[in-house]
Amino acid sequence: MGLSSMTDRPREIVRVDGLVKNFRPGLGLRSKRVLHGVSFAVREGEIFGFVGPNGAGKTTTLKVLMGLIRPTSGRASILGCDVGEAGFRQHIGFLPENPYFYPFLTGREILRFYARLCGVESSLLAGRVNDLLALVRLEHASDERLSTYSKGMLQRIGIAQALIHDPEVAFLDEPMSGLDPIGRKDIRDIILRLKAAGKTVFMNTHILSDVEMICDRVAIIVKGRIRYEGPIREFLREDELRSDIVLARLSGETSRELGERFSTTIQTVGERVEVQVKDGQLQSFLEAALGAGADILSVTPNRVSLEHIFLEAVEEGEKADAGAGRGGGGTP
Amino acid sequence: MTGSLHRIWPIATNTVREAVRHRLLYTLLFFAVTMIGFAVLIASLSYVEGERIIQDIGLASIRLFSVGIAIFVGIGLIHGEVDRRTIYTILAKPVTRAEFLLGKFFGLLLTVWLQLLLMGLAFVLVSLSVGAPLDWGYAAALFLVGIELMVIVAVATLFSSFSTPMLSAFFTLGIYALGHLSRNLYFLGQEAEVDSVRRAATLLYRVLPDLETFNVSIQAVHGLPIPASEVAWAVLYGLAYTTALLSLAIYIFHRRDLE
Amino acid sequence: MPVIEEGASRRRGARFRQGLLGLGVGLLGLFVADAVHLRNPPLAGESLGDVFVPDPAVAGLVSLGFGAVVSDFYWLQAIQAAGGDVRITPELGAHLGQLIDVVTTLNPWVDHPYRFAGIWLTQSEQNVRTANRLLRRGIEKHPDDWRNHYYLGFNHFFYLLENAEAAEVLEGASRLAGAPRYLPRLAARLKSESADLEVASVFLQELLRGAQGEAARESYRSALDEIEIEQRARQLDGARVRFRELEGRDIETVDELTRGATPLLGALPSPEPSSLPASLRRGSEWIVDPSDNRIVSTYYGKRYQLHVPASDRERAEGWAREKELREAAGR
Ligand SMILES: Nc1ncnc2c1ncn2[C@@H]1O[C@H](COP(=O)(O)OP(=O)(O)OP(=O)(O)O)[C@@H](O)[C@H]1O
Ligand SMILES: [Mg+2]
Repeated sequence: MGLSSMTDRPREIVRVDGLVKNFRPGLGLRSKRVLHGVSFAVREGEIFGFVGPNGAGKTTTLKVLMGLIRPTSGRASILGCDVGEAGFRQHIGFLPENPYFYPFLTGREILRFYARLCGVESSLLAGRVNDLLALVRLEHASDERLSTYSKGMLQRIGIAQALIHDPEVAFLDEPMSGLDPIGRKDIRDIILRLKAAGKTVFMNTHILSDVEMICDRVAIIVKGRIRYEGPIREFLREDELRSDIVLARLSGETSRELGERFSTTIQTVGERVEVQVKDGQLQSFLEAALGAGADILSVTPNRVSLEHIFLEAVEEGEKADAGAGRGGGGTP
Repeated sequence: MTGSLHRIWPIATNTVREAVRHRLLYTLLFFAVTMIGFAVLIASLSYVEGERIIQDIGLASIRLFSVGIAIFVGIGLIHGEVDRRTIYTILAKPVTRAEFLLGKFFGLLLTVWLQLLLMGLAFVLVSLSVGAPLDWGYAAALFLVGIELMVIVAVATLFSSFSTPMLSAFFTLGIYALGHLSRNLYFLGQEAEVDSVRRAATLLYRVLPDLETFNVSIQAVHGLPIPASEVAWAVLYGLAYTTALLSLAIYIFHRRDLE
Repeated sequence: MPVIEEGASRRRGARFRQGLLGLGVGLLGLFVADAVHLRNPPLAGESLGDVFVPDPAVAGLVSLGFGAVVSDFYWLQAIQAAGGDVRITPELGAHLGQLIDVVTTLNPWVDHPYRFAGIWLTQSEQNVRTANRLLRRGIEKHPDDWRNHYYLGFNHFFYLLENAEAAEVLEGASRLAGAPRYLPRLAARLKSESADLEVASVFLQELLRGAQGEAARESYRSALDEIEIEQRARQLDGARVRFRELEGRDIETVDELTRGATPLLGALPSPEPSSLPASLRRGSEWIVDPSDNRIVSTYYGKRYQLHVPASDRERAEGWAREKELREAAGR
C-alpha cells in the first residue's frame, strides 16, 4: 500500500464526494433521501470528528465507507481504494454503533476469531490478543462469555477487535456511548495513543465535549448535509467560549467590582458566588479573585455555547429543508 | 484462494459452534431420534414386514428432521448475523461477502451433516436392535440425504441472502416440496396437449432441483440395487446445482445493502 | 431506533421458534395419540369411510418423497380395517382395495400387501378383479416370487371360474424357485376342465400354509372344512344312487344307507368338519333336504358349491344377476 511513504502535504486517507443515499423503507413506500451530497476528507494522522445530531446520517455515511451499503450516487474512497473493493480493509478497523458480538464466545475467543479473519499469523496471534485485552483493560474477563459482558465491556471488546490487526485507520461509531466517565477517559486515551502512533482516527459522535477534547478537525452534518468542515478551534470561535467559576469567601463589594471589571453578572447563593467569564479573561479573573482573598471551588468550561452553535446549525438545516420543501424540490 | 480458505474456515467453524449451542437443533434432533425409536411401536401394529416399516419411518424421520434443521436453524444463523449486526465487524475485516456467505454455508453444511451422522447412528442402533437388515444400500441412502441437504442448505442460503427469515423459511420449504414434485410435474406436463404447457413444464423441471434424485430410501429398505454410477451422478448433480445456487446467492448478497 | 428494531426482530425470532416448538410437540402428540388409537381401533364397520383414501396418483404426487411412510400409514389402516371380528362386506372389501391400491402405488416394492388384497378382496366380482389387478402389479415388481402368481391363479379358478387363465398363471409360477412341485399338475388339471373339489382343496391347503394372520388362516380353514363336508356329501350321493339301483326306491332317511341286509356304508361319515374341536361340536346330522331333495349336513344346512362357499352364496347369486343385467344392457 505504501502507507509509510509520507509526502509533505498530509495525505487524504478518506475522501467522500457528493454522497447521496436513498432508503426505500419498504415495498411500495416512497424512498427517503438520507444523505444529500455529503463531501469531506480525512487527512493522515488526524483525529476527525464526524458530528451531528441523532438521525443526521453519521452512521449511514460510515456504513457507506465500510461498504455495507451502496451509495445511491457519489463516490467514497479509503486509502485511495473505492469503498466497494475489499483491498484496503486490511488497513482499517471498524467499531460499529452499539456493537454486538457472538455471545457464545469468550472475549479471548472473539479476538482470536477476528485476528484469524485478518490473517494475523498464528505465531503472533496469542500475543496480539493479549496486547489488545490489556489495552482495553479486559484481561480480568477475557475468558468469560460475551453474553455476560456489560455494555461498556462490549464497547471495549469492540475497540479491541477494531484494532486487532494494527490498522492504519480506525473508524469508530460513537466510541464513547454507554460508557462511564472512567470508560470515556480510557477510550479517549486509546484514541490519543493511536494518534501518537501515527494512525488516523475517524469518529462519529454527537457528544461535543469529546469532540472538543480530542478532535483535530470536524465535519458537522445536519439532516444529511455537511454544514461545516474544518479545524475544531475555528468552529468554536475562541471568544464564544466561557467557563463557570464557583467562588467562596468573596465579599459583596468585591464581587460587584469584579463584575463591573469583567462585564459579567455575579450571582450569590448563600456562601457561594457563581460567575461566568469568557475563556480569554479566565486567567486575569482568577488572579483578581485570588488577590481579593477568595477561595476557588471549581472552574468548569461551559459548553452551552457550543451546543448553541450546534443548534444553530440544526435550525439552519431545518430552514433550508423547509425552503426546499416550498420550492417543491423534495426527493422523489 | 488459500487466503480465502483462511477466512472461510473460521466463519464456518464459528457457525458450527453457534449452531451446536442452538436449542432448536436439540429439539429437532430429539424429535427425530424419538421418531426413529417410536417407529418400533408403530410397526408393531403390522403383523408383517415390521422391520421394513421401522426402517421406512426411520429414514423418513431422518430426512424430514434434517431438512427441518437445515431450514429453521440454518436460516436463523444467517439472518442472525445481519439482524444482530455481527456481520458489520466481519465485513469490515478483509473478508469479502462471498467468503462470508461461503463460510456460513459450509458451517451450516457441517452442522447438518453432523446431525445426520447422529440420526444415522440412531437408525443403525434401532435397526440392529430389531434385527432389520443393514447393508451398504442404507449408507448410500444416508449419503444421498447428505447431498440433498447440501442443496437445501444452499437454497436456504440463497433466500437468506435477500429475504426475511420467515419468507426464507417459507420459500425454502416451498422449493423442498417442489423439488420432490418436479419430476412428477414434468411427466404430467409432458402429457399435456398444449405445446406451451409442455415447454413450461420442461423449463420448470430444469430450474427446480429434482430432489427425488437423492431419494433412494425405498431402494435401500427393499434391498434393490443402487448402482454406484447413479450415486455418482446424483453427487455431481447436487454439486453443480449447489454451485449454481451459491453463485446466485453471492451475486445477490454482493449487491445488497446491509442496513 | 436500531435498538428497538433489534429487540423486535429478536422477539419475532423467539416467537417463530416457539411456534415451531409447538408444532413439533403437536405432531409428536398426534403420532402418539394415533398409535394408541390404532391399538384399540374402532370396529372396522364404523371406521369405514373415516380414513380419507386419496386417489393413488394424487397421493404419489403429494407425498413429496415420503411415499414409503405414507404407504405404511395406509397399510396399517388396511390391517385395522380387515382385522378383528368383522364381516367383510363388499363395501369394506372395495375400501380395502382402495387402500391397497394407494399402498402399492406409493411403494410398489411392498411384499405382503399384494397377497393381502388376494386374501380379502373376495366379496364381489369387482373386488376380485381389483385384487387381481393388484396381484399383477405385485408380480411385476416381484417377478420371481411364485406366491403372487399362486393367489392370482386361485382367484381366477375359485372366484371367477376362469380356469384357462388360472392354468396359465400357474404354469408361469411353476418355473419359479421355491414353487410347489405339484403346480404343473394343478395347471394341467385346470386345463382339462375337470377342475373340482380336489383342485380347490390343494389350492386352499397351500394358501393356508402360506397365510399370515389368524383371520386369513381362519377363512381358508373354513373353506377347507366346507370342502371336506362336500366331499363326504358326494360320497353319500354315490351311495344313494347305488341304493336306488339295488332297492328300486329312494332313501327316506340318510341312515338307511347303513342299514338293510347288505349295508352300503359301514357308518355315516361325520357331518361336521374334522378340524372342529369337540367343544364346538353340536351334534349335526345328515338329512335329505326336503326343498331340493339333496343330502346335506345340518352343520351347514346347504350343499357346497365349488367356487362359492356357502357363506357367500347369496352374494354370488347377486353377482350373477348383476352380470346378466349388465350383459342385457350391453346388448
Ligand atoms: N435502513 C434504513 N431505512 C430507512 N431509513 C433509514 C435506514 N437507516 C437509517 N435511516 C434513516 O436515515 C437517517 C440517518 O440515520 P443514521 O443512523 O445515519 O443517523 P445518525 O446520524 O447515525 O444518528 P445517531 O446519532 O442517532 O446514531 C435517519 O433519519 C434514519 O431514520
Ligand atoms: Mg448513528
